[in-house]
Amino acid sequence: MNLDAIHLEHVSKRFRLGAAHDYGRLTEAVAAKVRGLFASKRTNKRAESINPTTPGQIVVPNAVAGQPNTVAGQMEDDWFWALRDVNLTVKTGEIVGLVGRNGAGKSTLLKILSRIVSPTEGRVGVRGRVGSLLEVGTGFHPELTGRENVFLNGAILGMSRADIRRRFDEIVAFAEIDSFLDTPVKRYSSGMAVRLAFAVAAHLEPDVLIIDEVLSVGDQAFQRKCLGKASQLGDQGRTILLVSHNLSAVANFCRRAILMQNGCVIADGQPDFIIDRYLMDSNAGAGEVIWTDDATAPRTKGIRLRSVAARGNGTSQPLGELDIDQPIEITVDYEVLQPQEKVSVQIQLKDETGTFVLWSANAPSMNSGDDPWFAQPHSPGLYRSRCRLPANFLNDTRYFVSVLIGESIGAPALRQDSALSFLVHDTGAMRREFTGSWVGPVIRPRLDWCTTQIPSGPDSKGA
Amino acid sequence: MQYFGPTDVFGFGQLRDVWRSRELLYSFFLRDLLIRYRQVVIGMLWVLLQPLIGVGIFMGLFFVLETNATSPNVAYAPVVLTGMLCWQLVSNSFRDATGSLVNYRHVVTKIYFPRLLLPLASLLCASFDFAMGSLLIPIVCWFSQTPIVWSTVWLAIPIMLWLILFCAGCIAWLSSLNAHYRDVGYALPFALQLGMFVSPVVYDIHRLQHVLTSRWVWLYEANPIATCIGLLRWAMIGTPMPTAAGMGCALVITVVVCVSGLAWFQRADQQLADRI
Repeated sequence: MNLDAIHLEHVSKRFRLGAAHDYGRLTEAVAAKVRGLFASKRTNKRAESINPTTPGQIVVPNAVAGQPNTVAGQMEDDWFWALRDVNLTVKTGEIVGLVGRNGAGKSTLLKILSRIVSPTEGRVGVRGRVGSLLEVGTGFHPELTGRENVFLNGAILGMSRADIRRRFDEIVAFAEIDSFLDTPVKRYSSGMAVRLAFAVAAHLEPDVLIIDEVLSVGDQAFQRKCLGKASQLGDQGRTILLVSHNLSAVANFCRRAILMQNGCVIADGQPDFIIDRYLMDSNAGAGEVIWTDDATAPRTKGIRLRSVAARGNGTSQPLGELDIDQPIEITVDYEVLQPQEKVSVQIQLKDETGTFVLWSANAPSMNSGDDPWFAQPHSPGLYRSRCRLPANFLNDTRYFVSVLIGESIGAPALRQDSALSFLVHDTGAMRREFTGSWVGPVIRPRLDWCTTQIPSGPDSKGA
Repeated sequence: MQYFGPTDVFGFGQLRDVWRSRELLYSFFLRDLLIRYRQVVIGMLWVLLQPLIGVGIFMGLFFVLETNATSPNVAYAPVVLTGMLCWQLVSNSFRDATGSLVNYRHVVTKIYFPRLLLPLASLLCASFDFAMGSLLIPIVCWFSQTPIVWSTVWLAIPIMLWLILFCAGCIAWLSSLNAHYRDVGYALPFALQLGMFVSPVVYDIHRLQHVLTSRWVWLYEANPIATCIGLLRWAMIGTPMPTAAGMGCALVITVVVCVSGLAWFQRADQQLADRI
């Protein structure tokens, strides 16, 4: 059972930048051919580097360390290297998660694996039937009925007609649309169309399944259904490759994770390690907003905002992505410009949907500690107000911090809305019990719970 | 472990892939067929009506011009009908197939299947139309009192397969070229207009005899469309057969177009998702 399911050998992919030389027109192609006759061939100087990675350990290949760690390192004249010398072997039955920032090359890698684009260099091999879900509902046609679309979409995804016929009732039941089966899809609500598309995709049974972020569409109940279906496939010994920004899904669903950066695989190993590494790497510089230019910084006559930052517990480095089981520190740096200025600092937290999560200030009524500077006359200089949010308090989603500064709580003179955003991840204890997003509650504190058995003997009956 | 990428220079591997995905080809064909007649009042009747309208137009035109498009002893209606049916097969398959890859860009860039299926589905659709329309031939022959040559009528099938094969080679070129250079799509309508008149669609080859003379007729018949139409008329209603030299040239051209089309399509396919 331990055959290789996916094999990538020195795979590189480059794209041409800019539209001017796109060869979209015949005349350009001819002109370029003519120019090519006179110009000498440019050789492609590329560092030869081989970085085999083995599962179970974090590998930092020298090639990456040697290259400039920026996007500019991927540029070469008019070319952009989306992938550079990727070597990868996945065994049958492995469930692998791909993580990395936008533009790291994850999607390009998936597209190469699903054969949509061909690599510029290197070769790619796959054992068995590949099913790729880079999008749900590929090939859905609005004029066709639900039934016809199931057959068409299923066929595009690689199912045989007999397969589809056999599983048709299951698909329809999964999508919950039975009464609309013979209605053209153009009359469906968008939710219904997505559900139907998902239902077809969920019944795909390839040997190697490639999934790109598709799980992030659809409602919550549906997402859970899909994840359940995917783990079923995993249990059947099928190979799954998954790209997701939902790190908790990667942490729990996958048994191996791969971190990509600037088109290279930079780490490969246990999901927990890889996710830690990713959070560490990808957030240098993020999680902090600094106004360096005095002219554009938010200010009043007496106060100028300097920076707003979020930090995990005990780290001095501001982080844009934080762990749920660590306390979070939000700091506001401001400069007092005139003497005897009275200052109070407030923060407001909103989530992605704009729900007001909390409002706090350094006033004694909202402070569990003691802030000697609250509403006191400040002398000119730099000040930092720190607010600590307890661990296991926020939910795992993105939060936006607004900062309000003024003489008193009721009348803030300076207001900076959504000055900073940070993302809270849950990769910890809770995820061992539950996969998927814990959507609904605004906060998710860890509270004191205890269950005891109430003794119920015959003597307690009369009481 | 199966490695991706072309297995041979000529792209014959694509044929194997197409055969393996024949169910998907059928699905695409069915889709094209179904969506064409959605929200259409008379539905499939258009398949019959379109060639009939064409026949009517040209019969009217030549009647008004008081001229004959055929040799004196041949009825015009069956001649122009066979011409129109063949021409619709060519022009519809060219038109639909040329746009097929570009129109399904969103599918082509999201999932892999043998891309040759998309233009082939358009060709199948056009062939289906031809098969339906050919039911009109006996009716029109009966009305125009033209006897059908029963001894050779079965040859219509290999003749049409030849024409379809030629179309397949052409659309392999056209669809992939159009994906890279959209100019193809703009130039095609004019090319088709021209093609309709340089092929014996609305007239008989033998009307051109005094222009072409026997020296140049092979060049005219080197066009596989012209040869196939001529052969079809010969097989059905017994008009004279195209010359052997013409048929030989047409056959060579068909083979060249098909083989080169397949090889080119494979080459273009490698960069399709990047460039489309």
